[in-house]
Amino acid sequence: MAKQKCVAMLLAGGKGSRLKDLTESLAKPAVPFGGKYRIIDFPLSNCANSGIHTVGVLTQYQPLVLNSYIGIGSAWDLDRKNGGVTVLPPYSESSEVKWYSGTASAIYQNLNYIKQYDPEYVLILSGDHIYKMNYDTMLDYHIEKQADVTISVIEVPWEEASRFGIMNTDEKYNVTRFDEKPEKPESNLASMGIYIFNWSVLSKYLEMDESNPDSSNDFGKDVIPAMLADQLKLIAYPFKGYWKDVGTVKSLWEANMDLLDEEQDLNLFEHSWRIYSVNPNQPPQIIGTKAKVQHSLVNEGCVIDGAIEQSVIFQGVEVEEDAVIKECVVMPNARIGHGSFIERAIVMSGLEIPDNTIIRNNSDDILLITEAFLAEKIEQQTRVEEA
Amino acid sequence: MKKSMLGVIDATMLPGEMGELAAYRSPAAIPFAGRYRLIDFILSNLVNSGIQSVAIFPRSPYRSLMDHLGSGKDWDLNRKRDGLFFFPAPAKEGQFSRMAEHLDYFNRSDQKYAVVSNCTTVANMDFGPILDRYLNQNCDILEVMHKGESAHIYLLSLPLLLELIEQRNETGYQSVQDVVEDSASSLTKCNYEFEGFLKRIKSVNDYYQTSMQLLEKDKWSELFNEFQPIYTKVKDEPPTNYLAGSYVTNAMIANGCVIEGEVNHSIVFRAVTIGKNSTVKNSIVMQKSRIGQNCTLEHVIIDKDVSVEDGAVLRGTPEEPLVIKKGSVESAVTST
Repeated sequence: MAKQKCVAMLLAGGKGSRLKDLTESLAKPAVPFGGKYRIIDFPLSNCANSGIHTVGVLTQYQPLVLNSYIGIGSAWDLDRKNGGVTVLPPYSESSEVKWYSGTASAIYQNLNYIKQYDPEYVLILSGDHIYKMNYDTMLDYHIEKQADVTISVIEVPWEEASRFGIMNTDEKYNVTRFDEKPEKPESNLASMGIYIFNWSVLSKYLEMDESNPDSSNDFGKDVIPAMLADQLKLIAYPFKGYWKDVGTVKSLWEANMDLLDEEQDLNLFEHSWRIYSVNPNQPPQIIGTKAKVQHSLVNEGCVIDGAIEQSVIFQGVEVEEDAVIKECVVMPNARIGHGSFIERAIVMSGLEIPDNTIIRNNSDDILLITEAFLAEKIEQQTRVEEA
Repeated sequence: MKKSMLGVIDATMLPGEMGELAAYRSPAAIPFAGRYRLIDFILSNLVNSGIQSVAIFPRSPYRSLMDHLGSGKDWDLNRKRDGLFFFPAPAKEGQFSRMAEHLDYFNRSDQKYAVVSNCTTVANMDFGPILDRYLNQNCDILEVMHKGESAHIYLLSLPLLLELIEQRNETGYQSVQDVVEDSASSLTKCNYEFEGFLKRIKSVNDYYQTSMQLLEKDKWSELFNEFQPIYTKVKDEPPTNYLAGSYVTNAMIANGCVIEGEVNHSIVFRAVTIGKNSTVKNSIVMQKSRIGQNCTLEHVIIDKDVSVEDGAVLRGTPEEPLVIKKGSVESAVTST
């Protein structure tokens, strides 16, 4: 294999349990986002746009959709003679199957994959966030600062800091301490889960971590603290721009709504930093004679005859006459029946909403509309009618 | 069986009545239906019918056609065996003379039958049943018909096609069409009546009328279905953004557009912007064109990369739509 300066390892095995039914049969990185994308399109497109063309994608939980989506990486221009995308599922060694027990052990088990490219740097990414970032600029920063490890950080509101892994740094951004979800944060620089390691340092610490029976094999909990304890040079890379963890139904909905907010920094229309995705090859959208589409993103293959307001509509969605969709995310190939009304909700892929289904939502929470949700609603209605 | 046909697309059609739309591109490469080029329809039909070897005979200028087709990847035609072949024959007139320049392709192909088609027929057609009919009828050349008119799509055996190419000087036939139209020919002919939506685009008017017909749902659904998709060159445009205040009805809209104005009974291609208080009616706006604010467009075909400046008024008629040339700038003063 030809040598690569930097190899990216994308952790895509997470279940994302807080996304509830959205990840029932889907790994979190494969969850649809923004009318045509999946979450993993963001880190993969960032890699392609940053000139990092060797990407190992570590999959574990529900990998079927994710694996076939990634394919040979051609959608992101990552089908390369040298490097390119490689999907790395857990595998069995002579005696046992080794599931990925933590972020660090997942990388540890694929050290051979990295070794064959003889890189100088390894970029660790996750498939959990929506953001655009030039990793090459971060790598330049890492090299310039002569760091062992560079950790990308973003300023979060102080009141939210205790939800994140917080980096305490000196004035030159040298990391002095790492606190995972601290009760009383002393800094508001949150780790974005993006690390650049010198390869020699990473392989050494992963070997050490693996041989430590007390370790939970996690970068944030084990590897980074061990490096700090050994006084390696860990430096924070302050990122400015849009970055959002879409780990819950509500935050996924919010991130979709952010796309409709012209004040936000996340611009999908930017030509120089395209977000690539697998093209579903659908005809243009059809907006009918009685349709009303306002302040919304609508993808190809949709047939819209109803009213859509402040919503994100994925490919192949049908909205029939007199149906009203308000502040919703409608996943691919769902059909909204005649005369229905839905507000502040995420509608699951392929779901058929029967005619005249009224789903109002005045609460702060976002509804996740699934088969089960509809069944329960119909049952409730019958009970009310009977009473 | 499936591998037994090859496809030949004759893309040497002259611009003729296509006017400005084909001034700098092959008629095959004229943008159509929001995100396609005319050639996508026949090419996808061939591929969806299991044909894995397609030869395209272009005429200059064919830069935009080549750019569109690339390696054939988007039609799944980037194959180790067979695939997409591009055969320019710059100095030759006559279909058979051009094919004779690339006789090796026909000689090397192991397919038994050939579909020979024009490049601007818009339809969603399966060649499986057409081949069945050809074999049942036991004729020499099959002609696809639609409502009593020729669709200029033919099916014949590859050995017969080779024979016709080689004997063109003796017979005087220069194309499959010549053979079919000669009632004195000893070759037997049969027909296949295609029932679905089919239009052969030969003029600006055909182009406009056919485009507008696609806004009728029944016509649209005859052309587009999930089982026989029409493939095209993939672009990575985001979903279309309908801004607050936009008003869109009865329209076909591709991805990557930002729409703030009013669109009615129109087709809008990829990455078009339509500014505030502008009205686009009974019109076609091709990719990457920018319509400013307070513009009025009615019965207009706007080609690619056109800039319509604030306040411009452009009007054609249903019979004679106004065509605005690729890359031009339309300002408010000159256009009224």
